[in-house]
Amino acid sequence: MGIILGMALPYVAFSVFVVGTLLRIVGWMRIPVPFHLTLFPVPEDKAGSVRELVLEFVLCRSIYREDRLLWLWVWLFHVSLLMIVCGHVLGIYFLRQQFTLVGLSSETSQTLSVLLGGVAGAMMTLSLGALLCRRLFRREVRGLSEPDHYFELILLLAISVTGIAMYLPGLHAELPEVRAYMAGLLLLDPVPLPRSSPFFVHFLLVNLLMLYFPFSRLLHSAGFFVNRAMLAEAPPVYPTPDRSRPRSDFSSRKIHPDIPCPMNVADKEAGSK
Amino acid sequence: MKIPLRLAKREDLRIIGVEPVAEAELCSRTLELMGEFRAFARSFSVMLETCTGCGACAKACHSYLGTDDFFNIPAARAGLLRRIFSRYFTWSGRVLGRFSGAAEFGPGTLDSWVDYFYQCNACRRCAKFCPFGIDTGEIVLAGRTILTRLGRAPAFMVNIARNELTTGNNTGILKPAIIDSCSFLEEELLEETGLEIRIPVDKPNTEILYLPSSSELFVNSDTLMGAAKLFHYLGVDWTLSSTLLEAANYGLLFDLDVMKKHNNRMRIAATAVGAEKVVMGECGHGWRAAKMYSEGANGPFPFQLTHILELVTERLPDLNLTKLPIRATLHDPCNYGRGAGLVEEPRKIMHACVEDFTEMTPNRDRNFCCGGGGGLLMDEMTEIRMELGKEKSEQIRRLLPLDYIALPCASCKAQFPLLLKHYGMGEVRTGGVLDLVGRSLVLNRQQDERTSPQDCLGG
Ligand code: SF4
Ligand code: SF4
Repeated sequence: MGIILGMALPYVAFSVFVVGTLLRIVGWMRIPVPFHLTLFPVPEDKAGSVRELVLEFVLCRSIYREDRLLWLWVWLFHVSLLMIVCGHVLGIYFLRQQFTLVGLSSETSQTLSVLLGGVAGAMMTLSLGALLCRRLFRREVRGLSEPDHYFELILLLAISVTGIAMYLPGLHAELPEVRAYMAGLLLLDPVPLPRSSPFFVHFLLVNLLMLYFPFSRLLHSAGFFVNRAMLAEAPPVYPTPDRSRPRSDFSSRKIHPDIPCPMNVADKEAGSK
Repeated sequence: MKIPLRLAKREDLRIIGVEPVAEAELCSRTLELMGEFRAFARSFSVMLETCTGCGACAKACHSYLGTDDFFNIPAARAGLLRRIFSRYFTWSGRVLGRFSGAAEFGPGTLDSWVDYFYQCNACRRCAKFCPFGIDTGEIVLAGRTILTRLGRAPAFMVNIARNELTTGNNTGILKPAIIDSCSFLEEELLEETGLEIRIPVDKPNTEILYLPSSSELFVNSDTLMGAAKLFHYLGVDWTLSSTLLEAANYGLLFDLDVMKKHNNRMRIAATAVGAEKVVMGECGHGWRAAKMYSEGANGPFPFQLTHILELVTERLPDLNLTKLPIRATLHDPCNYGRGAGLVEEPRKIMHACVEDFTEMTPNRDRNFCCGGGGGLLMDEMTEIRMELGKEKSEQIRRLLPLDYIALPCASCKAQFPLLLKHYGMGEVRTGGVLDLVGRSLVLNRQQDERTSPQDCLGG
């Protein structure tokens, strides 16, 4: 059991996460965009479009305009998520000594790391809680919510709560042990899971999240870019430049030969122009 | 909420090339069409699959604000299609079913699509406020195309599409009637200005093919006369075409095949009169269809293409305009503001034509739809359209007293008078931007004895 959960599951989960997500994105990208879906105004040049996209991604400006409170929670959540992901990589790899790299003392680095992790964890839990409440109590959002919306929020909440639980005395996971375990995984030489029950649950839930991610609404993170890229396309210019390639086969598709159009003859002439 | 929309009869559908689907095959055919659409346009699956149900779009939609019907929330509206899509086309929906919001195709499915896809003006305002830019209007147009292919389309739209395909204009008028109406308008122009201002039809070897809304021959004729005065003043070589006397393209709003077919007429008509440049008149969705869809629908478009308001703006320094002594505002048609990026031009023109130009809030790309967009102009929908226009009416009320609302779109021109009357503001006049250009353009003699707004708005 321990072998399956500790040594096989992470590989399976990670592969599903990566491959599944890529497949979904590739699946989208293979479909043509038959028409310009530009949502105006759009910046004049590519650099402007990229800047807009990045600003929107980093600041979630559309929500900010319409619903400040939602924006607050959404933004807090995503920022804390970013902090936590980075914190995990650095904190585990450097055993909380990462801030000594910028000249702080070992103890200060330790304290700062713990503090930042705690704050980010609290922020995440709080914002997830708020988002859950919003789903439960706002009439419109509640109507829009399906069981899996709740499931995703609760799963994330459970992950952040078990993460925070490891701060409690007695439930503490030994960082060097965790590091050794992760190193084993990464070097394809897995060792048994560290013996800490919050860590065990936390780790299992993260695996579950990875397994579930490509099939879930959490894929909105990728949809953001795929969709916004369509809306930010530069509008067409006329006469159409010679170099332009057909957007899809729709432009050359023959449709309804039986549509009664007295112009059919002229139609053919124009087609050969 | 059920809507009183009248659907087209089978015979009529066949005329536009649709073979209605038998009751027993509805489910399988719907799924087939959804599959086809998914493979056809990226937007369909990306937009359906990316929604997180965050609800940020709810307050952005005038349709929801006006009707207070849950399924008019953009995400809920799209959800009617999404749940079927999930069930048959996504991994999670197939495996988890209800849990991930998927639902089987059922007897009520198509009815719900009709009811809610036709309470959407395809105004794209929701896309502005959705963090991912999900454009429910786009999903709705896809859904409407699928419904049409199944044999469910509004009688009103099918009738217009038939006119477009057979006569080249929405009203279905033929060449003799077109020539008649144009000479009538020429007489009016003569009476008003004392000048021989022509409205040429099918004039060969012309530089510019002008495509007004065909409604301007009868109801919004001030717009067409404004264009005629302008071309006259500038000495432009222009003509109308009896092959295509229409800026609109209803196909965009309910059937992409009709859109493609009708769009192709722009080439045919421009070739026929030997034009180098196609200039579009005041029509919101028509301008979006022409500008944004021509290339995608029929490949490279070998003519210049521009909007009359862009042309006016370019030539503003050449125009002798007197400012009319009125207080006026501008309503940004959704298909200009968000759909085609025609925003500053009408403003520059307004500033040049009226003394007191005032903006409504929100405006430009955040403007609310008037409730007339998306082809919902059928009589039976009037009552619902008034609800859809509620937000707009409140915007207008905040600007009172007001003499004139400029509406550079034929659908807005049809919706506004009803809306204003319904909300007790019937005294405010409406019309195009070109109408104002026509009135403030100093053609030959001084027209400045007019002092009251009534005078300069023509009674
Ligand atoms: S704002 Fe966008 S993601 Fe949120 S519910 Fe509406 S469509 Fe879905
Ligand atoms: S396109 Fe306009 S009417 Fe349709 S759902 Fe979006 S905001 Fe509402």
